[in-house]
This record gives sequence, structure tokens and C-alpha cells, in this order.
Amino acid sequence: MKKDVIFTVPSYFRDDMDIMGYRFGKGEKSCAVLGALRGDEVQQLYVCARLVAYLREVEREGGMMPGKSVLVVPTAISLSMNAGSRLWAPENTDINRCFPGDAEGSTTDRIAGALFDKLKAYHYGVQLTSFYQPGSFVPHVRMMETGRQNPELGCEFGLPYVYVRVPRISDQATLNYCWQQAGTQAYSLYAGKTQEIDEAAAEQTLRAIIRFLNGRGIIRSEAMQEQKSMVITNGDILSVTSKSSGLLRRVKYAGAHVRRGEQLAFILNPLDGSVREVLKTPATGMLFFIQDGPFITEHSPVFQVVAT
Amino acid sequence: MAILKEITSIASVSLAIGENWTVRRCRYRSDDGAGGRLCIATGIHGDEKTGQLIAYDVARRVKNEPHHLHGTLDIYPMLNPLGLDLGKRTLPSSTQLDMNRSFPGSPEGTVMEIICHHILEDMKGADLVLDIHACPQIAAEIYGARLHVHEAEAMIEETRALCPEVIWVLPDKPAYNATLTGSLMRAGTKAIGLEADSRTEGTQRASDQVVSGIFCKMKEMGMWSGETVAPPASVPVMHGARDVARVTCTRPGMYVPVECIGEQVEAGDVLGVIIDALEGETVETVVAPAGGLVFTQRRYSCVYPGTLIARLFRKERA
Repeated sequence: MKKDVIFTVPSYFRDDMDIMGYRFGKGEKSCAVLGALRGDEVQQLYVCARLVAYLREVEREGGMMPGKSVLVVPTAISLSMNAGSRLWAPENTDINRCFPGDAEGSTTDRIAGALFDKLKAYHYGVQLTSFYQPGSFVPHVRMMETGRQNPELGCEFGLPYVYVRVPRISDQATLNYCWQQAGTQAYSLYAGKTQEIDEAAAEQTLRAIIRFLNGRGIIRSEAMQEQKSMVITNGDILSVTSKSSGLLRRVKYAGAHVRRGEQLAFILNPLDGSVREVLKTPATGMLFFIQDGPFITEHSPVFQVVAT
Repeated sequence: MAILKEITSIASVSLAIGENWTVRRCRYRSDDGAGGRLCIATGIHGDEKTGQLIAYDVARRVKNEPHHLHGTLDIYPMLNPLGLDLGKRTLPSSTQLDMNRSFPGSPEGTVMEIICHHILEDMKGADLVLDIHACPQIAAEIYGARLHVHEAEAMIEETRALCPEVIWVLPDKPAYNATLTGSLMRAGTKAIGLEADSRTEGTQRASDQVVSGIFCKMKEMGMWSGETVAPPASVPVMHGARDVARVTCTRPGMYVPVECIGEQVEAGDVLGVIIDALEGETVETVVAPAGGLVFTQRRYSCVYPGTLIARLFRKERA
């Protein structure tokens, strides 16, 4: 294992922020894995840290395949993680809206630019990312429909779903979009939670990355059972949206199989406890996403269901 | 002749506990059948408060001289009221999303997307939309208009009567498409982003300058028959990186500005210093890389390498 400083952001009264990269193997730049790009992506950092520890053992045991190399960048935003800010705190900006970056631009642009320069050289790219709304997902692979996406390859992670999403206009400055445009087979992995560690989801995500690296002939480690993936698109996901606001009391959680009409959550009047709304699933299937905040606004997508 | 005044909630979403996020529009319409429509939007970033005074001053003048209005004037004084309350640029929730990167929105999306969708739908079809910004906490700016490079040719002449000190033609960036002005232009509605003078916050002078330009523009549009300033014969136009020198610092520290916003500087003139209070040293002196007009200058604040200190309109391009 080699430790590289990919980029340093010098700071005034705080310690300099070094973006660290952990390299395994030698030769072709096979796969890059990126963890936290936002200051609250704790689960994403944790999965990467676990991956670094795992690959260290694989390399020690001679499991890196000749001529292949892997780069793991656990976090590019430690300064904000320490300060408890989701965004890049000094400029109040989202690094994942600044790609491909600019070496002469703002600090955020420079971070994105330095990262992208390193990452775009890799054949496969994996970003552990989070949703912009607080909530929990069934761990899955996601990619944008750019014309360069390869969902079949995404099935090699062996997670339950491979979600091909139509990009929005604002997605064009994200890492996943720019990575694909630059020729990397790029995948985003949703590792369950964001702001806290979910051991089961972290383990599932870690095993998915290891499975992918094995399947692509980049590492050789113990075989792991593969789950057959289902490729889904925007049209396969049904959203359960609140018509009322208030306190959200969930009775079902991400990953649960639900039958059409089953109760998922109650929205309570936050002052008198009366039930304002009962949220039910419109179809039989798996709960793909749930919002996990205590408050809910009107018109809020609370659940996403993948119908079976 | 009278005007009709009507306040409408154009978007409203119920928050968790006894409150709605409501975007309100005040419409002033003449009863003479004139068809022009101008929209004035402010406060898409909650920390930009100058627009409040501008919206108030425009409304006050229209109410004082109602017989001079011909057509429909729609004022949206605050698009992000939660942000105003907390002094936050972004939406103050766990998402911390920038509303001006969330257009065109969606009628079936998240709260933010729904609000953005309704704002856009309400403004569509206007003859012109002005999106007014000003962020004096971070940087001082002179009064300017911002246009996108693909629309500049058609919009520069439209902008002149607003009397900005400069027109800045921005280079192409994907983020533009998700802004209010970008989404309106894509939808076929003309829109211009204005940066009010933010040398000092909330001053009458800053408001007067923009308001004067708005009435001048309304006169040009045939919507105002009262007294206005004459439109300038021309306004300096800056095209992206070719005409604009972007000055950044290379060292971290506290930036102490040498005030020169709105002034012409020469190459080598000092724009400020970066200090290190622990060591008691100046770690960097930031100088102008070229002669020109300083139209943006950062305030006294903590900086990192790459932090924008100033923007200059290069003298040789002026």
C-alpha cells in the first residue's frame, strides 16, 4: 500500500487539509473508489476505511493481480467533516456540483479539479455517495443515463438493484456525470445511511466493491455470494408522497417487502398527536428509500417503492 | 386611471409545525388595457437583503404615481423566506440546497422542486424577468448585469436601459441551466440577473441606482410614462475570461482589503494583504495583475488558496 497526498488545502488557523489516496498494486489504473465528498457522509468514509484495511490484507497476501492497481480516497472534505458541515464550509459550496473542477478556480473548483485529474485516469470508478435528502436506501448501484452507462457491468457488484437515472440539468456538474463523460465506467454506490454508521449496510457495500474488483480481475480474494441484480429506471420507482405535514412515525423501513395497501407510516399533528395521514404503499414490492427525519413537510417524497 | 393591486400566494408548502413556506407576489396592473408585463424577483438567496429595499422602493413609486403605470408589474420580494430569517444563502434544512441551482423544479418533486416549478410557471410569458442579487457579506460589487454567453447577443441591448455600470457576459457553465434566469431563458422568457451595488449593505444609494434603472427600462418597454433617467448610450460589456481578470490569493490567512471597489487600478497596485495574526506577519500581498476597473472585491475575511479576492475589467478591453 502506498499513501499519496492527492491535494493539500492549506488553512489559516486549522491544520492543512490533505486529501489522501491509498494505492494498491502496480500497473494499469484499474479502479478508483471515492468516499466522502460531503461533510456528513460518515457511512461513505467508513466503507472506504474498511476497504483500505481489506485491500491492505489482500495485497499482503499477494492478492493484487499483476498489472492492476486500485486507488481509494476515503474523503475529500475532512475539514468540513470535523466542523460538522455538509458543504465545503469556507465557500458554502457542494464539491459534487463543481466537477470537472478548475485548477485556477475557487478553492472548491481546485479540490474538484485535483480529484478529477487523478480519478479520470482510472478505467472503473466507484463513488460512495449520499442522497440530497436525509434518508435510508436499500444499498444499490446508481448511474446516470449519459449514453455511456453500462448497467450490465453494474450488476457485477451483486447489489439488489442497479438504478439507471435520467440526469437532471443540475447533475451535469456531478462527479458521476463528468466521470462517465471522461470515459470511466462510473458507478455510484448508495451505502444505506449517510450521517451515521450502519454496520449491516456497510458490510453489504464493502462486499459489493470486493465482488466487483474480483469479477473484473483486479484482485483475487475469497469468493462471496452474489445477489442477482435487477436493473431499474425512473419508471420502476413509485414515490409515496405526503399530503400533510407534521411528525413522521414510520412503521416500515428500507429493505422491507410490502404488499399493496400496507401501512408504511403515520403523519401526526405535532401538537395534539392526532393522525393527519396514513401513508400506504401503492404497489407490492420492496421499500427502496425512506426519509428518516422526524419532521415531514407537505409534498415530500417519504418512500420510494420498487414494484415487483 | 387607477391601478389594481393584488397579492397572491403563487406557491405554498406546509412545513412540519404550524407554518407554510409561501412565495408571494404583489401585482400592480393598470386598467388601461396595456399588455406589457415585468417581473422583479429578489431573495432567492436568503442572505441577500438589498432586494427588499429595491422591491419596496419600486412599489412605493408605483403607488405614488399610479397613472404612469401601463401594463402589469409583478414583484416577488422574497423567494426564500426561511433563508432570510436565518441569513442563509441556501435553503436552511438538512439538504442545504441552493435554490438558484434547483430550477426548473418539478410539480411532483421535493418541496424545493415544487416551489421552483411554481415560481417558474408564474413568471413564464412575462416580457422580462429581473432576478436581483447582492451579497455584501462576502464581497462588494458595483451595480452590474449578468448575461449568459449564449444569450448575450440578443440580451445586451435589452439590458442597456437598466443602466448597470457594467454588463458581464458569463462563460458557459452547466450550473447556469439550473438557475432561475437560465431556466426562464430556456423556456423562452427573457430574464436578466442583476447584482445590486453592495459596497455597503442596504443603503438607499444602492436601491436608488437599481430602481432608477428599472423605471428607465419600464419606460423603454412602454410600461411607464413618468419621469426617468435617460438610458445610457452604451454600457461597458465584459466577455468572460477574455476581459475579466480574476484575482485570487495563494496563501491562507485573513484578507485585509485595500478598498478599491469601483476604482480604476494599475497593474501592480495593491488590492490587500493576507495576514497571519499568530506570527504577526503579512504572508501575501495581493496585487492587480493588470490595469482595470475593480468591479468585485472581497470583504475582510478568512481565505484559502484560490479564494476570489477581486475581479477586474481589464483596461485594455474596456
